[in-house]
Amino acid sequence: MIRLARAASLLAALCLAAPAAAQEEVRIGVIYPLTGAAASTGLELKNAAQLAADLINGTDKSLGLALAGAGGLPNLHHAKLKLIFADHQGNPQVGASEAERLITQEKVVALGGCYFSSVTATASQTAERYGIPFVNGESSAPNLTQRGFKWFFRTTPHDELFVRNSFEFLKDLEKRKGVQVKRIAILAENTEFGTGAAALQEKFARENGYEVVAKVLYPPKSAQLTSEVQKLKAARPDVVMQSSYLGDAILSVKTYKDLGFLPTALVANDAGFNDSEFLKTVGKDGNGIISREVWALDLAAQKPVIAKANALLQARHHVNFNGNSARAFTAIFALADAINRAGSTKPEAIQKALRETNIPGDQLIMPWAGIQYDATGQNKLGAGIIVQVQDGKYVTVWPFALASKDVAWPLPAWDKR
Amino acid sequence: MSRRAGTAALLAALLLAALFPLAVARPAWQNTAILMLMAAQLGVAWNILGGYAGQVSLGHAAFFGTGAYVSSLLSMRLGLSPWLGMLAGALVASAFAVVVGWPCFRLKGHYFAMATIAVVEIVQAVVNGWERLGGAVGLYLPLAETGFGGFVFNRSKLPYYYIALALLVLTLAVNWLVARSRTGYYLRAIKDEPDAARSLGVSLTRYKLQAIALSAALAAMGGTLYAQKELFIDPGSTLSTSLSIKMSLVAILGGVGTLFGPVIGAAVLTAVEEGSRVIFGGTGRGTDLVVYGLLIVLFAVYQPAGIMGWITGRWLGPRAERPEEEP
Repeated sequence: MIRLARAASLLAALCLAAPAAAQEEVRIGVIYPLTGAAASTGLELKNAAQLAADLINGTDKSLGLALAGAGGLPNLHHAKLKLIFADHQGNPQVGASEAERLITQEKVVALGGCYFSSVTATASQTAERYGIPFVNGESSAPNLTQRGFKWFFRTTPHDELFVRNSFEFLKDLEKRKGVQVKRIAILAENTEFGTGAAALQEKFARENGYEVVAKVLYPPKSAQLTSEVQKLKAARPDVVMQSSYLGDAILSVKTYKDLGFLPTALVANDAGFNDSEFLKTVGKDGNGIISREVWALDLAAQKPVIAKANALLQARHHVNFNGNSARAFTAIFALADAINRAGSTKPEAIQKALRETNIPGDQLIMPWAGIQYDATGQNKLGAGIIVQVQDGKYVTVWPFALASKDVAWPLPAWDKR
Repeated sequence: MSRRAGTAALLAALLLAALFPLAVARPAWQNTAILMLMAAQLGVAWNILGGYAGQVSLGHAAFFGTGAYVSSLLSMRLGLSPWLGMLAGALVASAFAVVVGWPCFRLKGHYFAMATIAVVEIVQAVVNGWERLGGAVGLYLPLAETGFGGFVFNRSKLPYYYIALALLVLTLAVNWLVARSRTGYYLRAIKDEPDAARSLGVSLTRYKLQAIALSAALAAMGGTLYAQKELFIDPGSTLSTSLSIKMSLVAILGGVGTLFGPVIGAAVLTAVEEGSRVIFGGTGRGTDLVVYGLLIVLFAVYQPAGIMGWITGRWLGPRAERPEEEP
């Protein structure tokens, strides 16, 4: 009898303990390309996201962001964030499968990722089907937020805004520095990212009165880009606008040099040009390249939190933040903020909290005015910047208010870098 | 195995497949099973041309993608039911297969395979640049539950499972009928002794074209199913050489030119793919791909007749293993 009573009390204790135990962990699924051509980028994103979660779970408040050092989510009895990573290999079908596995097997309460817009498209569909919030930090295809989804939120600005930034930059430059730009050539990889950007560049170029003298699309991961670069060279552009992933970005710079192709400026469209591996590989040949960005380390001059966060990443992984990893980091903070305000892991509560998100700019390591989602789930306070490689480092050159250095114009000769 | 035992085993397998999703409720496992069925269906479709006729195509994604694009465009632009779109896609893919088959069949062996790679790469490049087909951005199909008529199911995975199963059974039936028909014998003759077949008056091109048309039509139907299940298609995922290679890999691993070889190949390959990714994928070390690659190398070296060849050799006696080598 005593035994039975003991067993019963134990059971009761277990039942009482169960809800508290369930709150100790908030499980979030994060899907990135951890193998394949974009594996190195995927790993950076993973490390940045994990750093964000660890900061929220930890007790070190020195970073100065609201949730950092909170020891878990305060409104959920300091439940810890647990990120469960999955690999989509750059394949949309795999992304959808992994999203489903994370939701149904791993019981995640929200999803993040996927960097590739095509995979974000299918993985977020799965989230929509299951009614699970999906917070995307780094996919910039405009139509992702034009699908009428109720569970999809995107913190990063999309390509249309970014591309517009490049032209605003050129216009500002013409006004400020009196440079002359007339002829624009476009080089882009021919999948979703590249063709989408190229079409927008063509549109904005026309609207701004520039002449598009060449538009060259190439298949990604090309073994060589010689004929593409020859086409560019023959068109004699002032400015080349380029959208490439890492491998192609490196190859194109080598090919420019080999063929002696030197436009006045190379304005790249983020992606491969802003990967940490890019400058390591091309070295001095990268000097002078301009790229649109969402982030740069020298923004720390305006925002000390950036330097602090970067020091933490450096201590762990010996790399600096870049535009991609800073956005991955930010997306986790934005999601954690919503879950904390929701005070619950119920999908509807998180969704409601996401809609009410209002994170001020000083709570971000991004150069944004903040995070507030519009009806489509798009953050309406995001903005891009323009950076340039000067002496082997990315420095912010535009908007002029945030710039840490002056624009170097035109591109230096290949043998004078 | 006697004929009757074979039929019984077949019916038992079918029953098991039909009951599987009722017994296994986990959506992720059901999803894996659907991926197996879809891969098997494509492997069996590929097998008509690659297995029986011996024409190794590495361009079948072109037909798969045709099916996916035709049905998606018809439903998005004209509101046509994807079921009719599936038939339309099959017809278009058949016609397209004949058009590309005509010149490609002038090439033999590796050269034919290389030409088919070129075909799928060209189609991918064309669609990438074709705005009206969604270009490289791809097509987003509306995510709204429409039930059986509209071919979109959000609440349950079961409809997709049974549609995939039915499509596989249909493809197997077509394969079986072809194998037993006069055309089937011609195809095998073309594969083993093309010169002898020609000298006996068998038109090589005509029967190869029949095989590719049929094979393409079935692959296109698989493409429509993919589009309706994933609701997003882009050239990178539906018109890629890696997808073509997977179709052939499924058949080769399972056993080329056998009816059920591709089914077994698909089950094993998908299980390895999904399983190793679940176990190792989050680490980002690529272990899953190493396992996957190792398996293929091992089979290529030790069991070139595929898993089916190994099963028949192991359990059904040496007689069944290599009948073609008997005097």
